[in-house]
Amino acid sequence: MNMLTRLKRRMGEIGCYTYVTVLAVFAAFPLLWLFICSVKESGDLLANPTSMIPQKFTLANYHNVMVNLGLGTNIRNSLMVSLSTTLIATVISSLAAYGIVRFFPKLGNMMSKLLIMTYMFPAIVLVIPYAVVMGKLGLTNTRLGLVLVYLSFNVPYAVWLLVGFFKTVPIGIEEAARIDGAGRLQTFVRVVLPLVAPGLVSTAIYMFINAWNEFLYALILTSSSSITTLSIKLHTMQGADVLNWGDMMAACMVVVLPSVVFFSFIQKYIAGGMTEGAVK
Amino acid sequence: MKYKVKKDYGRWLWVLPAIALVICLFVYPLGSQVFYSFTNKTLIKSTYGIRGLSNYTAILTDPDFWLALWTSVKWTVLSLLFQMLIGFSAALALNSIKNKVARQVYRILLIIPWAFPTIAIAIIWKWLLNGIYGFIPTLLTQMGITGQLPQFLSTPDLVMPTLVVVNVWFGFPLIMVNVLAALQTVSQDQYEAAQIDGARKLHMFWYITLPHIRNVIGLLVVLRTIWVFNSFDIIYMITGGGPANVSTTLPIYIYNLGWVNKFVGRSSAAAVILLIILLTICAAYFCVLNKWEKEADS
Repeated sequence: MNMLTRLKRRMGEIGCYTYVTVLAVFAAFPLLWLFICSVKESGDLLANPTSMIPQKFTLANYHNVMVNLGLGTNIRNSLMVSLSTTLIATVISSLAAYGIVRFFPKLGNMMSKLLIMTYMFPAIVLVIPYAVVMGKLGLTNTRLGLVLVYLSFNVPYAVWLLVGFFKTVPIGIEEAARIDGAGRLQTFVRVVLPLVAPGLVSTAIYMFINAWNEFLYALILTSSSSITTLSIKLHTMQGADVLNWGDMMAACMVVVLPSVVFFSFIQKYIAGGMTEGAVK
Repeated sequence: MKYKVKKDYGRWLWVLPAIALVICLFVYPLGSQVFYSFTNKTLIKSTYGIRGLSNYTAILTDPDFWLALWTSVKWTVLSLLFQMLIGFSAALALNSIKNKVARQVYRILLIIPWAFPTIAIAIIWKWLLNGIYGFIPTLLTQMGITGQLPQFLSTPDLVMPTLVVVNVWFGFPLIMVNVLAALQTVSQDQYEAAQIDGARKLHMFWYITLPHIRNVIGLLVVLRTIWVFNSFDIIYMITGGGPANVSTTLPIYIYNLGWVNKFVGRSSAAAVILLIILLTICAAYFCVLNKWEKEADS
């Protein structure tokens, strides 16, 4: 009997390992393939569509996209837009989240429900109004316009996430600081923020990835290659007369890598934040 | 805290920037979108007039609209079903792996798709499925499964299933990570107690695990339904809605109408209809979720 249960358990574990291994191949293979193809020579790429080992390892594709296709400009644009969005959104939303938790506790619940509504909002609905507004303000085809639009969907979600983090700060600590004569803002910056630092950092990284990956609004609002982001640059590269898949793969690696690296750091925080309220 | 003893206007300063931002960049554009839906505005002429409900009747009598709606429903239901199935089972399998290092490694491998920017999803899958040099068609042919290279992205019958597979690939990690987080909140005591009482694994899952994480799953289904229904990028970048409208979902229909054909009024009306559909889905879901919560409390 004992042996039978042990055998059963062993079988169960082997089953689990097999299942996750199959899934892991499904999940990770495209990234592996992306890398392999990005270091193949173009002849090899087309002649051996299923070979896993490059005949000759080459960085020519990377050199080509960075130097000849000027991908550097777009990397800079993407970085500028994503970093400014993250910075401004972090300031605005941490102020708001703290304000909601401390000064509007009753309104807070309703507010966070409204905020999450904005997050579920279809991006496509605001395409035309944004195009019209940015046109009127003269911000079409500028990085500033893009930052403004990105704030609109990052701030509400960030507030929602941060409210959860600020709620964990015990009020006693703040009262102690206040008694010692610190002002509200001082208490906030010196006492509260350090306590929620992990939450703040993961929210910021999440916003950065969001902005870094955004496509639709960048497609609508920017057109010239010197202003636009990496996503749009890659999209236009696909429309070229002669599509060089080796270049595409190298360019893709450049977009994917920061996202994947950052993501593995923050996935735990984000997962917790998203459905925290639902856990009993 | 005693902030409320005297009138405290200073507290508004904390939330003001966020409120101002939401009003300027969210409420105002949304309002103007609803307004446009009652006008004959185009992106070519600057003058326009109010046309009442004519845009709405035009949309609701357009067979392409209904086709796009049907495509959207198929896309959402199929994607969600398989994302939930795979995500959920992966979480359960991962949770029963005892070796911590192995679990961590698998976890990181499995969340890779979630981190992919959409443009990269589009390009890598187009390349994997490419009808001449693609890895998957070539492999299938070499293994003798298909006689000639299958054209996944240009055969009308294959396009939607292929796109769903891509979307499942991208979406299951999110479900998995969330379910995993929820599973870890189930207290071990209950399992041990059940084990002493001689409960079977399946019963333990059904009577302890499932009720405990039901709310998380419910919320996930709501969020994912909405995201998948709204998603524009993946399909737009992979097929552009083609071939011949086969993969045109509602967001792509709206985009084409407003941005490509410049019919702002009509596209706005379609957008408002999309919003109404989403709000209805949301309301229905939240009713169910509220009921569950009440059941759990009683």
